[in-house]
Amino acid sequence: MKTINDLWAYYNTTLLPDLRVMENERKNIANKVLILNIVGGIVMFFCLILFFVIYFFVLILVIPAIIGWIVLYQKFTKSYVSQFKTKVIFRVIKFIDENLEYNPASCIGSDTYYASKLFQHGVDRYNGDDLVYGFIEKTRIMFSELHTEYKTQHTDSKGHTHTQYHTIFRGIFFVADFNKNFSGQTIVLPDTAQKMFGGWLGNILQSWNFTRDQLIKLEDPEFERLFVVYGTDQIEARYILSTSLMRRIVEFKKKTRKDIRLSFISNHVFVAISNNKNMFEPRLFKTLLDFNVIREYYEDLIEAVSVVEELNLNTRIWSKQ
Amino acid sequence: MGAILGIALCLVVIVFVIFIIGLVMYNSLIRKKNEVNNAFASIDTLLKKRYDLIPNLVASVQQYMKHEQGTLTQITEMRAKAMSGNLTPDQRIELETKLTKTLGGIMVAVENYPDLKANTNFLQLQAALNEVEEQISAARRAYNAAVTDLNNAIEMFPSNMMASMMKLQKRTLFEISEEERKNVNVKNLFNQ
Repeated sequence: MKTINDLWAYYNTTLLPDLRVMENERKNIANKVLILNIVGGIVMFFCLILFFVIYFFVLILVIPAIIGWIVLYQKFTKSYVSQFKTKVIFRVIKFIDENLEYNPASCIGSDTYYASKLFQHGVDRYNGDDLVYGFIEKTRIMFSELHTEYKTQHTDSKGHTHTQYHTIFRGIFFVADFNKNFSGQTIVLPDTAQKMFGGWLGNILQSWNFTRDQLIKLEDPEFERLFVVYGTDQIEARYILSTSLMRRIVEFKKKTRKDIRLSFISNHVFVAISNNKNMFEPRLFKTLLDFNVIREYYEDLIEAVSVVEELNLNTRIWSKQ
Repeated sequence: MGAILGIALCLVVIVFVIFIIGLVMYNSLIRKKNEVNNAFASIDTLLKKRYDLIPNLVASVQQYMKHEQGTLTQITEMRAKAMSGNLTPDQRIELETKLTKTLGGIMVAVENYPDLKANTNFLQLQAALNEVEEQISAARRAYNAAVTDLNNAIEMFPSNMMASMMKLQKRTLFEISEEERKNVNVKNLFNQ
């Protein structure tokens, strides 16, 4: 495992020369965007004043202004963003492991997302980017940022329909080969019922969850407090969730302090790590020449890559090699 | 007249509710009992799977392991004894535990035989054995979970009343011995 010191060395030798060039560009673009925002703000302010004078006419002005604002913003930042991803994020990924590949525009497919059975809600809007894939030793992995939403619509008294989008999942979605063979499915979800209603009643409520498979009660009390497990086979679920893997999952959960869900289906492990920030994106108004900025990207990435190590996926002592 | 009818109706409702509760309790106890039997049966299946592996394993290591001949014969004997079928469940559990331990010992001894560690046939068998051992341990845990569920129902109010009427007995858990806990660490030796 590489350390922060290694990253510091890599930062100074490999990243810094390019970062310096990009930093100049960033300042240029940041200035342009700043001017754009000031102009946009002023236009909006006048529109607001005009709104009282000429009422609806103002819409003719506002809509093109907003579109223009967005178009200009994208025009200013587009090449910088793509440059940033290939020069910075790509290299940090290569630093983590030479065998990993990166595709900034692509993401985990919706078929994989549905196959994981981690989220049961139907998806109306599916977005994602920053796909990382490749092998960590023997284990094939793939992860990307993902944001899934469902929509609700309601009609108010005037007959207008309002559409609202609600997040189902946002964060890192991770898929890897699992190191044991199995045929059924086992799903590990955060335990909400036991947290709300206590152990006994929570357990009863969980066993009444008809949309999921059988409830699997495991013997690790801390694991049971944090998670609830559903599966098709009581023995297989315990074969997958060995006592050591349960410990590892608890440790991983404590380390990341995030909402995590796991599922084990058709010899794969799916891990959804919730996160509310838009990761691996450049920040225009913050200097690039700060090691901590790079370090943050590194830590976001390593959190996903480390799943392999945390879950011990490279241990191949069973018949699956 | 009306009052008597009312009381009678109330009684009927109460009896009906008690009947339904009893029915639900009865069914859930039966289900729990069957789950325990089912879990026990699956341990048995997996133990049989291990019996199938043992002769191959012994055959493939025999020519290499000169110093462990005695242990290998012991393993073969234990397997034959366990398979004979004339053992009480307690004796069987004891024997299986001993077998697990001895097999674990052989797997550690393998470290002294580099030729054996290079033999692909043996490596496959070793992986298969690790898998079965892990599955057996999973089956035991499943059995223990089912037993805990049943024992709780037998001891807790109000299902304990129904259980005593049904003459259900508490079951004993599979103890996981100290040696077996160590076996988990032993397996880590093969990671290198």
